[in-house]
Amino acid sequence: MLTGSKTTFKVRQMLPDIKERMLSQTGVNARSRDVFGLRCLPGECVLQRAVMVRKKLTAREGRGWLSGTLFCTHFRVAFVPQDSPKPDDNADPVLLGDHDVALAAIEKVVVVGPNRTKLVTPSSSLKFTPEELVLYCRDMRVICFLFDRLTPDTQVIEITYTIAKAAKSGSVLSFQNAALGSVEMKQFLSNRRRDAHMNWFESASDWEQELERCGATSWRVSSVNDRFEMSTSLPRFIVVPQKVLDTELKKSFAHFNEGRIPRWCWRHPRGSDLLRMASFQNNIYHEKDDIRNLEMVLFGCQSSLCVVVELGEELPSPADIQLAHSRLRALCLGDISTSVSVPDDKWLSTLETTHWLDYTRSCLRKASEVACLLRGGHLTVALQEAEDRDMSCVVSSLVQVMCDPHCRTQHGFQGLVQKEWVMAGHRFCSRINYRRDNDKEEAPVFQLFLDCVWQLWSQYPSRFQLTDEFLLALHDSIQLPLFSSFLANSQRERCKRSQNLGQTYTPVNGWRDVLHPDSSDPSDPPLPPVWDWSLQYSKATQDRFTQPVAPTPPLQPLLNGNLNTNPDTPRLADTIPGSVFLLSRGTFSCPANLLPWRSSSSGVYKKSHRRAPSSENVPGLERLLKAWALTDFPQALTSTSGPQGPLDPYEPLLPLLMGPCMGLWRECYLRGALHAQAFSHPISANHLHPVERLAQEVQQLKDKLAEVSSSTDPTTPTGTSEPRRTDTNLNQNTNNGTFLFPSSRPQGSGVQRAAPPPTSTNHQTSRGPPPASAPPSRSAHKDTGGSNKHTFLFGHSSGTEVRPEQRYYPTPSNAKLPKSNGPSLAS
Amino acid sequence: MYCCISEAATYKWLRLLSINVIIMLSFTSTSTSRSDRSAQAKPPSAMSSDSVSTSAEFSPELRVSTQDITYFCPFTGALRGAVTITNYRLFFKCMDREPTFVLDLPLGVVSRVEKIGSASSRGDVSYGLVCKDMRNLRFAHKQLEDTLRKSIFEVLMKFAFPVSNGLQIFAFEYGQVFPENGWKVYDAVSEYKRQGIPNESWRITKVNDHYELCDTYPSTLAVPVNIPDEELKRVAAFRAKGRIPVLSWIHPESQATVTRCSQPMVGVNGKRSKEDEKYLQSIMDANAQSHKLFIFDARPSVNAAANKMKGGGYESEDAYQNAELVFLDIHNIHVMRESLRKLKDVVYPNIEDSHWLSNLESTHWLEHIKLILAGALRIADKVESGKTSVVVHCSDGWDRTAQLTSLSMLMLDSYYRTIRGFQVLLEKEWLSFGHRFQLRIGHGDKNHTDADRSPVFIQFIDCVWQLTRQFPAAFEFNEYFLVTILDHLYSCLFGTFLCNSEQQRLKEEIPKRTVSLWSYINSQLEEFTNPLYVNYSNHVLFPVVSLRHLELWVGYYIRWNPRMRPQEPVHQRYKELLAKRAELQKRVDELQREVTNRSASSSSERAGSPTRSITPVQTFV
Repeated sequence: MLTGSKTTFKVRQMLPDIKERMLSQTGVNARSRDVFGLRCLPGECVLQRAVMVRKKLTAREGRGWLSGTLFCTHFRVAFVPQDSPKPDDNADPVLLGDHDVALAAIEKVVVVGPNRTKLVTPSSSLKFTPEELVLYCRDMRVICFLFDRLTPDTQVIEITYTIAKAAKSGSVLSFQNAALGSVEMKQFLSNRRRDAHMNWFESASDWEQELERCGATSWRVSSVNDRFEMSTSLPRFIVVPQKVLDTELKKSFAHFNEGRIPRWCWRHPRGSDLLRMASFQNNIYHEKDDIRNLEMVLFGCQSSLCVVVELGEELPSPADIQLAHSRLRALCLGDISTSVSVPDDKWLSTLETTHWLDYTRSCLRKASEVACLLRGGHLTVALQEAEDRDMSCVVSSLVQVMCDPHCRTQHGFQGLVQKEWVMAGHRFCSRINYRRDNDKEEAPVFQLFLDCVWQLWSQYPSRFQLTDEFLLALHDSIQLPLFSSFLANSQRERCKRSQNLGQTYTPVNGWRDVLHPDSSDPSDPPLPPVWDWSLQYSKATQDRFTQPVAPTPPLQPLLNGNLNTNPDTPRLADTIPGSVFLLSRGTFSCPANLLPWRSSSSGVYKKSHRRAPSSENVPGLERLLKAWALTDFPQALTSTSGPQGPLDPYEPLLPLLMGPCMGLWRECYLRGALHAQAFSHPISANHLHPVERLAQEVQQLKDKLAEVSSSTDPTTPTGTSEPRRTDTNLNQNTNNGTFLFPSSRPQGSGVQRAAPPPTSTNHQTSRGPPPASAPPSRSAHKDTGGSNKHTFLFGHSSGTEVRPEQRYYPTPSNAKLPKSNGPSLAS
Repeated sequence: MYCCISEAATYKWLRLLSINVIIMLSFTSTSTSRSDRSAQAKPPSAMSSDSVSTSAEFSPELRVSTQDITYFCPFTGALRGAVTITNYRLFFKCMDREPTFVLDLPLGVVSRVEKIGSASSRGDVSYGLVCKDMRNLRFAHKQLEDTLRKSIFEVLMKFAFPVSNGLQIFAFEYGQVFPENGWKVYDAVSEYKRQGIPNESWRITKVNDHYELCDTYPSTLAVPVNIPDEELKRVAAFRAKGRIPVLSWIHPESQATVTRCSQPMVGVNGKRSKEDEKYLQSIMDANAQSHKLFIFDARPSVNAAANKMKGGGYESEDAYQNAELVFLDIHNIHVMRESLRKLKDVVYPNIEDSHWLSNLESTHWLEHIKLILAGALRIADKVESGKTSVVVHCSDGWDRTAQLTSLSMLMLDSYYRTIRGFQVLLEKEWLSFGHRFQLRIGHGDKNHTDADRSPVFIQFIDCVWQLTRQFPAAFEFNEYFLVTILDHLYSCLFGTFLCNSEQQRLKEEIPKRTVSLWSYINSQLEEFTNPLYVNYSNHVLFPVVSLRHLELWVGYYIRWNPRMRPQEPVHQRYKELLAKRAELQKRVDELQREVTNRSASSSSERAGSPTRSITPVQTFV
């Protein structure tokens, strides 16, 4: 099998003998996609496998080790824990199991030998047999596998090379084909329904629905850009003032960079509107009609007051973000291949010099300012950025997360990302740089946004319906070049690609059907949107995306918007209509050239509009901002909302921004197990929130009660009515070791959300007796003796309400270490 | 998140103590008054203490009251209001603000009173109060009332430092009666019994019953069975201050032990003691699982060596067969004091945002926390995973040793993670084994430059907090509990942390004459309970001690900064959860009863039917 001497193994060409080395035989058993315990995707083949491998678990997974089998396919590196249940052939395909990592997400492959480490590249040769395999991922995970002495050396070497080669060689397209290219997969994807709970902002009616939700009555959806003739980067539908006609609108596009005219994003219930636009096009003559149109577009429905918020100055540039992120990455991941890791005593100052936290702070600060302005009511806030495709996405969506409880739900947040990022033309494809061909453009702007949301979440955990696990899942999905959401820079690109379907299979996205319902070849599967979580995550994991307990102020639907009940806010109605101010560095001004058509050079304006920009509103506006600065003090906010009264759901969540308040998203950046100490037994894991557990028990008892009262037929064994566990997600069998909360989670977080579900090894396999017949867990624990220090509690329940089809979990199992398959209690 | 719990504490004091003050200053109502740190709703259960506090026995004596004084709040600016100083506290109230601004400061936290610039132009006199709990306060009033000025300063000096003025600490006058008696929380014999001592290898000795063997040790000690009392005395002669190795904790299964002592008196000449060597050998022999003994010296090796000059030192591995000596590199009390001082400079009153992290790093505070936690972790790991007995000491065995043994016991034994268990842990490892609280804190002593002062205990509580962050469900108590302990470490309201040793406490009749902090806490446990707590017995905690996973305890060190107030009333929410849990528990019980009833009736109808297998669902609450 091996070439070369006993100590040196040359890398062989992988491609020629893929066929012969393919361990899977598709077609032998058409029904079963189960290869050595790995449930393959349709068409997926196993390139290499290694047995007796242990995976190092992170704090979140319970730490410690999990033994099983390691696979490398041409799509992923998969790990199947031993004793995991036989996969269900009828279940929908899941791209990645809980312990899997996609090849495209792997950045570096490092092996650790007796006393050295080595970075493995496709061309490198190994002079020793690795003991440990470490995968550094682009999403900042570090996955560590330990080979056993009993793992055959050949397997160890082969799988190392295979992974190194497969991770480096594959193009985005081949990766996509590996994952989704099979006929079954295409068919499966094309039959998938999109989530109807969220707003996709693809059709005009989607936008109208949003207008209605926000109560923005004086706005309308315009399809003037339907063929992307006005602006290539804008979506097909944009929202503009009711009173502006499409013909008038058309003349405005030329005045803005890339034709990105002021567009409506969101309406605050107190009647302010949030707009975003690109910078003004210089050197263009403003005709009188133009000016009228521009003013109308900009002032929209608030004839009085407009504040232009310039985003370029105080916020980091994409290059800054990229630099900060790469520093953060280097700091958090360390690098065992070069043994360069920041010493612990320099950790804090090095973290500071990355400036990552500074940048999160500045985004949050800007968004807070805007949120405060909007809270003031009855004005238009227009975010302006040169290209309107990076920081304005961050700020506009942060403002909405702060102000709109709907955006703090999972579906609301997904809609928000659709609206302000995907449709608005954030250059996901360039910024993520999937093809690694454009490093200059690469910048993790979206990741910065997720970090900002995490900061908000960690300060106000109970005001969010979504959880940090959802944010983390979204964060990790960015690195998979499979999703239509991230694979293009604008809606137009997505369209174009779907039209140019030709010689080879090209990814197509879903909404192509909307555009050309008939023209496309039905055999081409659409690339799935990232929001189709079932493709990536098991049901149990998805359940953790939302809180089990509803956020404190119930999320009421907006009743036609216009919540004009704030008595404290000074109405700014006495303003001369048409005043416009610039907000920059926390102060307001009205520079003469703010709106180019009003500046002296283009004389037309002065003649027709005889108003001088007044500055008398500046104090009023500054008061709005000051209110924010004062929220630091108890007097400011509490006096308006009443100390013990119910929280106003539209009161923005203003984050604390002092140094000690800005936290590092440890669950994301410090997931690498390198810093954690490895002990022989797992020490911290996940368990169910006591309240949730109790709620679940109540439900169980109710079920039993019903069962007892209804079971009059003595021939019916009680056991059959016990809901069986059919969960596919059973890989986490280490979790039964322990179940404390994951480490370093903010305390408040634990309050409302359930910890991830502890699943355990023993329950699932063909349990005969009803779970209730198992001895109560306490005694069970005692029975198992001293070696089982880590007992287990009840299983997982999900959702806010206990569902009728609630799975029942038996009493705690007693396995301690992953590899020791403890005797089932039922046996 | 930044659970700035103190406001509740302040509020509690207000409720407890305010009755008299309210009369004096004839405030109209306290219901609207909120302390400067309380934006959250007051804890509803504060009402329960109301009835308690009306007890007539308790009356803080009114000393000075003046109406026109300015408090320079570093966050909100100058505030004018009225101040009252009693023998227990300073109470400042500003009515101009809405809501009313209240500052309530137990005089025990005052470390230093300074007069600032009485010669200033406007004739204002101002005082600076440097506090032990990470804040400084400044007051000023007009020169005019010279007698008043004098009296305020003098009253402050007198009652902030009662010990220096030959007065009694306020705890002796505090007459509050609580339904629980905290002095009964800890009993050495029953705690050893809980651990299974005496057993075949360990015995309880009364050799120190009258504190003759060692005056800083408790009267009840657990020692190896085969060492007679006479030999203990010879061992004591070889250990600094007579603090011989005694048992702190024994592993219920492996019998590996944690023992503590002071440094051996090796000296420059490398003196040896046959008795001490035999003694350590018998500690090792008491654990059949291992033929090795680990001696953890908390100090850096350089310091340990330097101690030889003073007659101390460390065990040489030649003299002690099968023993392995490990230095844990934890610095001495002076380094820690300096580190906390730097930390205070960085966090109070202003925080420099742009250099926050590097400023924090330069205090080295978190590094010290890390070293202590890492040391405790090594001990716990040796005992749990290595099944090996360990001996822990530093120089005297009452500072770093107490930190290490109590933290490792907290990791090893889930009992200490309950509220009562934690109280037992403090009573045992800190109070009875003679951590010198009086000296380290300087209760009522005006000598603020005393080199014996050091935040050793605060570091320990900080380490506990770090553990609670990493294992939020493993502890029965919440953050407020820890903050309350630290607040009353200084307040001198309770007798718990007075004096330096058990012997002194007995002599001063502390349990008879003062109230225990645990009386107060155990009378309202719901305030201090962590609703996320799940009792995992036999569960060992191994925290991650990398600086990457440690955090500054913002809820304690920066709690005075109103900009750091928590965004959400976490405490309130915890209590809601507790209530919800109780409600659900009740439903479970009801349903369970019903199920058992029904299944009983149905199974009697059809004996042997499978329905009988329905047994009550096990719950842990």
